[in-house]
Amino acid sequence: MGITRRDLLKLAGAGALGAIAFNGCRIPDKELRVESPVALPEDTVTGRENWYATLCQQCGAGCGIVVRVIEGRAKKIEGNPDHPLNAGKTCARGQAGVQALYHPDRLHTPLLYGQPVDWETAMGQLVSQIQQNRGRIFLATNPLRGHIAAVAQAFIQAAGGTLMAYEPLEDTVLRTAVKRLFGQDTLPDYDIAHARTVLSFGAGWLETWGSPVRWGKAYGAFRQGRSVVRGTFFHAEPRFSLTSANADLWLPVRPGREGVLALAVAYVLIEQGMASPSATAQLTGGRGLSALSAYQPEQVAETVGISAQRIREVAEAFGSQRPSLALVGGSALAHTNGLFTALAVLSLNALVDNIGREGGVRFNPPPPLDLSGVPPAPLARWRKALEDMGAGRVGLLIIRGANLVYGLPIDPKEFEDLLNGVPFRVFIGSIPEDMAPFGDLVLPELEPLESWGTDWPEPGPGFQTLTFQQAVVRPFRDGKSFGDILLEAGRSAGLNLPWQSMREAVQDGARRLFALGRGSVRAGDEASFLTGVLQRGGWWDTQAQGQGRVTLERAPATPPAPQFAGEEGEFPFHLVPFTPLGIHDGRGAHLPWLQAIPDGTTTVAWQTWVEIHPERAKELGIAEGDWVEVTSPRGSIRALAYLHPAIPPEVVAVPFGFGHAGMGRWANGRGANVFRILAPLTDSETGAFAWSATRVRIRRLGPRQRIPKFEGTVLPVQLEERPIILITREA
Amino acid sequence: MPTAHPLHTHPDTPPRGGAQPQKAAGATPSAGRGTFPQQTRPRHKWGMVVDLDRCTGCQACVVACQAENNIPLNTESIYLQRRVIEWIRIERYWEPNHEQVRARYIPLMCQQCDNAPCEPVCPVYATYHNDQGLNVQVYNRCVGTRYCANNCPYHARFFNFWQPVWPETLDNQLNPDVTVRWRGIMEKCTFCIQRLRRAQREALREGRTLQDGEVVPACAQACPTDALVFGDLLDPNSRVSQLAKNKRAYKVIEDLGTGPNVIYLKKVDPYAPTADHSH
Repeated sequence: MGITRRDLLKLAGAGALGAIAFNGCRIPDKELRVESPVALPEDTVTGRENWYATLCQQCGAGCGIVVRVIEGRAKKIEGNPDHPLNAGKTCARGQAGVQALYHPDRLHTPLLYGQPVDWETAMGQLVSQIQQNRGRIFLATNPLRGHIAAVAQAFIQAAGGTLMAYEPLEDTVLRTAVKRLFGQDTLPDYDIAHARTVLSFGAGWLETWGSPVRWGKAYGAFRQGRSVVRGTFFHAEPRFSLTSANADLWLPVRPGREGVLALAVAYVLIEQGMASPSATAQLTGGRGLSALSAYQPEQVAETVGISAQRIREVAEAFGSQRPSLALVGGSALAHTNGLFTALAVLSLNALVDNIGREGGVRFNPPPPLDLSGVPPAPLARWRKALEDMGAGRVGLLIIRGANLVYGLPIDPKEFEDLLNGVPFRVFIGSIPEDMAPFGDLVLPELEPLESWGTDWPEPGPGFQTLTFQQAVVRPFRDGKSFGDILLEAGRSAGLNLPWQSMREAVQDGARRLFALGRGSVRAGDEASFLTGVLQRGGWWDTQAQGQGRVTLERAPATPPAPQFAGEEGEFPFHLVPFTPLGIHDGRGAHLPWLQAIPDGTTTVAWQTWVEIHPERAKELGIAEGDWVEVTSPRGSIRALAYLHPAIPPEVVAVPFGFGHAGMGRWANGRGANVFRILAPLTDSETGAFAWSATRVRIRRLGPRQRIPKFEGTVLPVQLEERPIILITREA
Repeated sequence: MPTAHPLHTHPDTPPRGGAQPQKAAGATPSAGRGTFPQQTRPRHKWGMVVDLDRCTGCQACVVACQAENNIPLNTESIYLQRRVIEWIRIERYWEPNHEQVRARYIPLMCQQCDNAPCEPVCPVYATYHNDQGLNVQVYNRCVGTRYCANNCPYHARFFNFWQPVWPETLDNQLNPDVTVRWRGIMEKCTFCIQRLRRAQREALREGRTLQDGEVVPACAQACPTDALVFGDLLDPNSRVSQLAKNKRAYKVIEDLGTGPNVIYLKKVDPYAPTADHSH
């Protein structure tokens, strides 16, 4: 029997076949719509998230953060909106804390002479070394604050030996100046948000210097946070940095002459009757303007490289548009006359009478609970310490967060010889950085997001603050926190130490804060107080503010000239090294997000580059992307040339942070380490590393195809005929 | 008739597919130009204000975006191929014509145009406009013609030329709220739509409307200087609506008729050679 199409339709009128046939012939409604049934971003169903407050340790500023945790994994870091330092904001480096946590090259087992061992064996080894070397232990760390500092101090006090902190770009000069002028042991805060004029010297406060998130927040308010006033910003630095780019006027001062420029500004302030009489008397030793005759703008213009007219213009704005504020740091202090510069610039604040006032310098109180920090030791002390090690005066060296071989201006071979004078060395760290191969015993450390502790930010917000660090996830790798290693091994070695673990130290800290009965967290009992501080991310007391005095020092009659390594004839360029936005002084080099950050002015990433003025490059036959050799009296490195239209012709700039031996797949062997060619000069008074006092010459090595930079990745939207960045002169 | 789950019927949940041309035939025609007629009752019009006088070019937004949105690692080889993906990017322009050379910074991201040039050229409707003013990319519709990227005057769209790779343990950080895009897929800034949806669901669950400032994209949340402000341009009291009235406000290449929803505030430079200029 044949069934025609017509028959089929008839049959289909009633029955099961109907459903099939009609579905086959008719187009269902929903298919008339243009979209296919797909998952739109809007339909994504999201899981439960938890947020935990803790401490950011990607740089030394000490911001409060909150971490988003889903199913036991840390996903995202945001600023803690309650925290007085950063008020909910983060920088690029802070964001990368999660990448450090899940870094594939984290250490995951202890190593004894390079062989994996279990934790019991490793700790046993450490304990016996502590017992054998009482009195001859050297603990080299990064700068410490909070309870971790207390643990390290207690450990060294009980075990006997030396505790020294290392930071490649130490702040010894600034600390010394703050101590001498203001009698402060902590760095002061600057109320940028309420200032009308900011004059900064060398300090890249919008990039990496000090507390960049805090300053950034203040900068926004300084520019556009007030209805009638827009702050004016002058920045003096030999290099055209991101901070220079954001200044209304950039003052390309000659390297090492920042202090002279500051005193030329002081000269104008006094001459125009804009300076505080008492501060003037102190600065000039009661002799008035004649004591500063060596700093008259017309006389120093050539030395500092800024015209007298410009100096006067800046000084008059600084003196008349108050509150005004002067900051100093970075390369300005990294000279042999660094302390002179620091004293000169900080004195400007007293001349405009801004100390302790809104829009001025605010002192920070000592940290709560009688805690004290371990600030970085100057280069001169480190050199002495290495000599001690070489002479066999150290029995046990424990290294944590102190990347000595990377940053010290010492030949690596000589360094190795000196370190070989130490019979047993322990490396503690999460990433096998440059110092790890020196460790006879290598102990994997937990990341900050897995550890407990406390910290007070430095510079602080002007009042007592104690940030609480809690483990926001379970340890991802089999490690121990630095504090727990010291406490556990120390106690096993029979040392008298105040706590069992870092967690207990934190709880004890909360208990003692509770007993103070003041501050941001109030609770009925100790347990809910601890919960409160952990939830809020810390404790602060806005009433506990800093106090200080001001005693200016007499300006030298003739300015101390900076010393440079290398003769001008042989080494025609000043080398100004700098900390790039992402990898900083090298501590962020293992994180791909930070390596991939385009530099603030050149947009270069992933490789060491050298910034050179286009005309000088032309003279030397150098084009962008060429490999060049940068040679100082100490040695040479290779870098890619970037022709920088704004760098002064006598200056070249190279970023810190590249050229690691180790530190994981993204850092190992990448780029060149500029510390290798810096001369070991120091500030004459403090012994601090003068890392900006080296001269270099440049030679073309050969061409390269392309330079890894963001510029040119997408077509420029802004064209001559179609501007996209519109500018107005009126605020 | 059984009551549908409130999540399916609430006005804040858009119909699947957002823009629906065949339904819009009876709707009020769009006031201006545009391929897709405007929605009858847009409920939100998400927008952002970027204050160029606050922006310092510090790149915090760029990394925050990469952390939030599972953006593939921009390795050195990606840089050398010029295939870097940054949903929000800082463009730096040299201005050499001054007494001293200047560098100017502008953060650029998808402008969520009202009349988005990327939308009509997509052959598979992978990009569409939703009723909250967002230009949305549907990853599993995209076939990678890259027409949209060609048509975007802001260069806000990025193509995945390679399979994204997160070595070993690094993938633990990936945000579960955001799809990882495969090789061959176009992607761009979403104004952190996952955060919007989460906040809208939370508000719905609590029976209230969204408050201004409750949803912040990752870039704006990180931005130290508060240069980026996000909000609803339909709400006259929102911070973005207030800031958009600023006399410094402008939109980037607006003359193309794209109708961007990102409003820029002019950079202030008291030392600029002319009172109001662009270079």
